[in-house]
Amino acid sequence: MSAGDKVVGIAGARRRRLHARSEGRLPATGPDLEALRARIDALEGELAAARASGAAPQGLLVALARIVQEGLSGFGWASLARTWREAYFAYHSEDVDDFGYDRKFTETLRPFFEFLYTVWWRVEVDGIEHVPEQGAALIVANHSGVLPYDGLMINLAVRHQHPGRREVRMLALDMFALLPFLAPMLGKTGAARANPDNGERLLRRGELVGVFPEGVKGVGKYYKDRYRLARFGRGGFVRLALRTGAPIIPVAVVGAEEIHPVIGKADWVGRPLGFPYFPITPTFPALGPLGLLPLPSKWALDFADPIDMQGHGPEAADDPILVNRLSEQVRSTIQRMIDGRLARRRSVWFG
Amino acid sequence: MRVALTGAASFLGGRVLRRLAERQQQDELLVVDVAPPPAALGVRYRPLDLTEPAADQKLLDLLREEEVDTVLHFAFFTNPRRDQAHAHELESIGTLSLFAACAAAGVERVLMRSFTAVYGARGHNPHFLTEDTPLHPNPALGWARDKREAEQHAASFARRFPEMKVTVLRFAPLFGPHLHTFYTSIFDRRVVPVPMGYDPLIQLLHPDDALEAVDAALATWPRGAVNVVPRAPMPLIGALHLAEKLPIPVPHPVAYAASDLMWASGVADAPGAFVDYVRYPFLGDGARAKREMAFEARHSSKEALFAYLAYRYPGPQAPRRRREAATATDVEASA
Repeated sequence: MSAGDKVVGIAGARRRRLHARSEGRLPATGPDLEALRARIDALEGELAAARASGAAPQGLLVALARIVQEGLSGFGWASLARTWREAYFAYHSEDVDDFGYDRKFTETLRPFFEFLYTVWWRVEVDGIEHVPEQGAALIVANHSGVLPYDGLMINLAVRHQHPGRREVRMLALDMFALLPFLAPMLGKTGAARANPDNGERLLRRGELVGVFPEGVKGVGKYYKDRYRLARFGRGGFVRLALRTGAPIIPVAVVGAEEIHPVIGKADWVGRPLGFPYFPITPTFPALGPLGLLPLPSKWALDFADPIDMQGHGPEAADDPILVNRLSEQVRSTIQRMIDGRLARRRSVWFG
Repeated sequence: MRVALTGAASFLGGRVLRRLAERQQQDELLVVDVAPPPAALGVRYRPLDLTEPAADQKLLDLLREEEVDTVLHFAFFTNPRRDQAHAHELESIGTLSLFAACAAAGVERVLMRSFTAVYGARGHNPHFLTEDTPLHPNPALGWARDKREAEQHAASFARRFPEMKVTVLRFAPLFGPHLHTFYTSIFDRRVVPVPMGYDPLIQLLHPDDALEAVDAALATWPRGAVNVVPRAPMPLIGALHLAEKLPIPVPHPVAYAASDLMWASGVADAPGAFVDYVRYPFLGDGARAKREMAFEARHSSKEALFAYLAYRYPGPQAPRRRREAATATDVEASA
């Protein structure tokens, strides 16, 4: 018995059986080449299996159990680092795409987001068939709700309701994409920082890209201004679509305005910390961290007909009048869809 | 080609020297440096200090005498120097002298080594830095400032002397066996302080890829700057965990102040402004290298990291291999 047998356990028992079997096959007289080769093959297979099981992560619980088992003597930087590492790779993958999108991390957070989607906000989706099965498209939506939950919900809507199970790559505002903690989180869940270069790169790869042209003006607006669309930037999203030929799909988000009703702003608090604004809601900061809990309003997402950009050609991106007209067209489409929804909505909480 | 090489004592310069010495007629290769190259290579050597006041005149005479037509400029410091004035003299002023001499001597081709770190790591950078992105390193960082000045000299001479082909290769941080830089030293500690709440993507370039890129540039001579980057980036925290390090999050204002203090007291390898490079990404875009030099890195950042770790922690102590090796020896013992 070697020391290794204790550690390997089940694999060891199987190996001994195999070992015995291959030995049994060996003839008693002289070396039989074929049997020897078979035995070597069996052993090599075992070796490969043992290597594979050794390379696989041992898992967080095993790492923790090992620390407990070894007691104080096993508690050092190395074991701490190993445990932390197992904890990290339990929720992160080793390989991310070049924008930092980590599928495993997203999978980990998904149950929480799905709870928000199905139970908390009971998102109702209309017109999802307008999202193409494949190829690039630019999803343009109104922005609201202080924190970028609306992007998350659009992402989930396309994942859940669309037959293609597509992923929407959101272009996040600088204020979110540069914020500590939120920035790596957004990157790992597939968002990229909103700039024309990132958007173009993703669209050229044939991805679905989501943008909120209202930007900070939309996401941080007062409750009294709810559902009144702010200016759509300077039409950068239209230029993006024109350059890449991707169709624009206007999306109206109704319900997100009520999750954090902003009744005041204390910008002087937020500025030194790097926030462009510091919202005051009925629950925040009065209730502390509890105030970060979004209110359970009823949400509706309306996807409109795609606006085709192929007819214009990429050089049209340099025509400011056309860009402005298309931008205004998208804005009015979204505003119309929102107004329609609001007219039909009887309750903020029950739809 | 009659080639003159500066900075042969640097890691990359030394590698380039070895490769050229193996491949070329040795009398065509000339090392111009303060320190002689290894005698075993049998390469010709002319001593010259680029920080001297009359370095340009000396270099000009030398280039004319030797009828050099190609200059490879690798005399740059990978690590931040405590003698910032000397680093400035060598990197900025030395490059100016070098280009002045090259232009006057009618050198046909100049290849200069640069760094993707010269773009500067800033939150507002585009995610992928193409070669025409303006260079905005942290102004507090003399290390990057001097390299940007060197690049500006290169660009200015390339504009004024169009008959001279100037290629600038911006390498992502090198990571691999035999490297000891302030960047690899992050992975030498057991406990690594990292800015809290940030996890930038990093690019680690395998030295073999860097050499391949130099070869590709020597064959094609694209004009202007070209990024040389690995196949895929990886997240910093993930890299630290793969290396079985313990990342300790530190609020970034504390990180800047503490590393400045540690640099000033001689403990740390790099001043505080370097915290930028573990706080924000600075990812070079490799499209131009692919287009104009037909160069594509063969190693990803992860492979470069593992190559370094296998070198740094040889034998069964290498992270990730430890368990693998343990099971392998068990099997051998019982077989």
